Order: sequence, then C-alpha cells, then structure tokens
Amino acid sequence: MELRFDRVAKTFGSLEVIKQFDNTIHSGEIVALVGPSGCGKSTLLHMVAGLQTPTSGSLSADAATIESPSPQRTLVFQEHALYPWLTLVDNVALALEFQNRPRAVAKSEARQWLSRVQLDGFEGYYPHQVSGGMRQRAALARAFIARPQVLLLDEPFGALDALTRMTLQSVLKELISEECPTVLLVTHDVDEALYLADRVLVFSQRPASVLKEVQLGHIPKTHDLSDFAAERREVLELLGIDAGSKAKNTNVEGVNL
Amino acid sequence: MSAQASGVRSKSAYLVAIVIILFFWQVAAWFLPDFLMPNVPAAFVRLWQELNSSEFYEGLANSMSRLGIGYGLALLFGIVLGLLGGTLNAVRSPLKAAIIILQSIPSIAWVPLFLILMGFGNLPIIVVVAIGAFFPTALSVMNATESVEKVHISAARVMGASRSQLLRRVYFPAVTPELITGAQLAFGNAWRALISAEMIVGFSAGLGRSLAYSGEIADMTGVMTNILVIAVLAAVIDQVILESIKHRLLRYQYL
Repeated sequence: MELRFDRVAKTFGSLEVIKQFDNTIHSGEIVALVGPSGCGKSTLLHMVAGLQTPTSGSLSADAATIESPSPQRTLVFQEHALYPWLTLVDNVALALEFQNRPRAVAKSEARQWLSRVQLDGFEGYYPHQVSGGMRQRAALARAFIARPQVLLLDEPFGALDALTRMTLQSVLKELISEECPTVLLVTHDVDEALYLADRVLVFSQRPASVLKEVQLGHIPKTHDLSDFAAERREVLELLGIDAGSKAKNTNVEGVNL
Repeated sequence: MSAQASGVRSKSAYLVAIVIILFFWQVAAWFLPDFLMPNVPAAFVRLWQELNSSEFYEGLANSMSRLGIGYGLALLFGIVLGLLGGTLNAVRSPLKAAIIILQSIPSIAWVPLFLILMGFGNLPIIVVVAIGAFFPTALSVMNATESVEKVHISAARVMGASRSQLLRRVYFPAVTPELITGAQLAFGNAWRALISAEMIVGFSAGLGRSLAYSGEIADMTGVMTNILVIAVLAAVIDQVILESIKHRLLRYQYL
C-alpha cells in the first residue's frame, strides 16, 4: 500500500506541530522517522492510522484519502496498549474478533501468532505477569495477525532495555520480511532506524519539517552497523549530537553518545 | 499469598467487631429491664424460633425479591447511562450535575410521592430501592469511563472496533473495577432504602415491615431480633456474595 503525503500540516490550536510534509512511501518500503522528542513524528503516524486528521493538505493510502482508522493500517504503541483484563492469547485474538471473525478461529490463529513471536506457553498469562519484552512481542503478534498492509510503529521498543530491544528488533525485522507491509517507524534510537529502515527521514524541532532523507536501500543488515558509520554520523549530527564527523577518519568506535 | 493473609485478617477483624457489638448490647441489657432491652441469648432464641417459622421466610422472600429487582434495575440503568455519559461529551456534564443534585435526597423522601403515584404495593418500594442504588453506580461508571486509558481506545480503533465493540470489549471491562466499588456502595444504599421503605409503606410481609410491627407492639426482643437479621444479611450479601463476584470478575488483578 502506497502512502502519499501532500503538503500535510497539523496545528493544535495555535501550536504548529507539522509545517508541511510531502512524501511518498512506496508499497513495501520501510521508512524510519527520527527527530527530537515532541517534534510531531507521532502525530504523523496517528494521522496515517486515521486517529487524527491533517489541518491542511491531504494524506492518502493507495490514492484513497485516509479519513478513519482501518485494520489495513495498524499501529503498535510504545507500551501499555495490551488490555490488562485479557490474557495474551485473548489480546491477540481480539484484533480478529473486532473484524467479526468467530472466536474459535480468532483464538487458534492467535495461538499460532504467539508461537511466531516465541511466546509458546504464555498464552494464558495476563500482561502484568510477563516482562515488558514479552508484552511487546504480543503487541507485535496483535498487529500482524490482521495482516495489515501498513504497519505503523510508535517507538515500539522505547521502554525496553538495550538487549531486549535488539532481540525485538530482530523479531520485527523477520516478521516484516515475511509479511511485507509498508512500514513507518517512529523511533528515538538511531541504530534502530538504521537497522530496520530502507530510508530514514530526519526531522527538525517543532514545527516538524524534514531536514534530510538518508537512503539505506533495501539490503540485508545485521546489528553490526559498521558499514553504515557514515550514515549514522550524518543522522546524529543532524540531531545535534557530536558524532565527530569533523575529525577525519573517525570510525564507528569513536562515536561518543 | 498476601491476599489470603489479608482475607484471614479481615475475617478475624469481623469476629472481633461482632464480639464487641454483642458485648455492648449485653451490657445494656444488664442495666435495663427486659421489656426495654432483651438479653443477647433471648434474641438468639427468638431468632431460632423465627428461622423455624414460615412467616419469616415469606417476609425474607418478599424483601429479597424487592431488593433483587430494584438493585438489578439500578445496576442496569447505572451502567448504561454511566457509559453513555462517560463517552458522550454532550450528556456528561448535565447528567453528572443531575446526579449530584438528586443523590443528596434521601431515598425514602421519595416514598410519599411514589406511594400516591403508583399505589400501595411492591412497586413504590422497588422504585425507591432502585433510586438509592442508581446514583453511586452511574457516577462510578461515568467517572471510570472518562478515565479509560486513551491508548486502550486508540488501539481498539486501529484494530477496526465498531462503536458497540468498543463499548462492550474495551470500556466495559476497563470500568469494571470502579463499577464493582460503586455497586458495593449502591448495595448499602439499596439495603437501607429497602428496609426504611418497607417500614414506612408496610405493604405485605418483609424484613422492614416485621421490624416496624415489633416496634408497634413494643416487642423489644422482636425489634432486636429483626435488627440482628438485617445486619447479618447485609454483611453476608456484601462480604460473601458481592466480594466473590468481585474476585471472579477481577480475577486478573489477583494473579
């Protein structure tokens, strides 16, 4: 599903959040949005999800204007989006039950999806009984079970520790390569953007505008991002972090964060 | 483990409280003549006799069915209006203001009105019970609905939930903890309204009617026995029945 942003702007009252955003996200492309906190990246995501509407400009999915939420465009939240009163399997099954699929079918598919995110044996647990990483695995299963054509991720792993985050990034990458949705990822983690995305959009302070597009290409990547040291430095510099690009021959080990 | 320990502690607290209350009653009985304040054992003997008479069960059945219908209606309307009020901005503020004004009126103040409006019978008692229980239920559901986590609503919307699915599958379970607290509060109101309305209306047998009658014939053993029954029943319904429903509905919180 192709997403087209045409002069999209958003203001809340007198607060200008997004100045003017033009872009086309191609079908199956994975695009990361990075930028300072509160710069309006999440607002963009919520507009694609249909939870908010642009103040001006137009936003379309496969040439159809986005007006309301649709299971074709699903959103994964940072945390606490699982329902505490439902077990993991019921949480995941709910995505299908909302589409009026029979409960038994929804539940058996939910079991399969929990198994795909390595949560076998935890189907009957409630969210508060499992770790944050396991909750986000279940959240991913709940997002993918509806076979969305657009996957929106709003800092999905922001609340996790570094190691769990990397594991979850690998799980997500695998699911994306198998299911091939168009992906928009909002993240604070530059390495996460470089690891997962084909293209990174670096945003300015609010009102948000794109400072730079970094093309990474749809190529296999590992967590060892040393081949992308130049891109990493560039993104960090744009975000105002000293990455030592002025010093010659600085390798990735020299990056100070 | 800790839930069990606190359960044991609350049970022993109840036992201590009962002993203290009965002690003060007995002390009063020692100082006052029997026709003013009966002994505790005398009341228990009368209670045993009552438990073996069919009239007691007739009154009990009448009271319980009035309570069941009135309280049930209050829960139904309270939940529906509370959810509507919590989700529809246009309804919320006026409904809340109306509840705050109306709930300050004691339930039995409605008795004369409904007695004349609906005639001598079960109906005015049931309506008064329902009014007493409705307000805390509706208020708790409405307040809880307003504070349902936004992310829970957004998540359901992006999963394609319809309006009725959103109400049934997200709002309703999300407000259940507060609803149960409100329902327990509502039960106290309903119980007080039931006994007082029965005392005033005096239509057919009932716990309140039986208490009022004992008073009218100056049968103090009967008065104390009826009060005993009213207190024990309320405690059993609240602490045993409502608490077990609470634990079942909120099972996920106790794991």
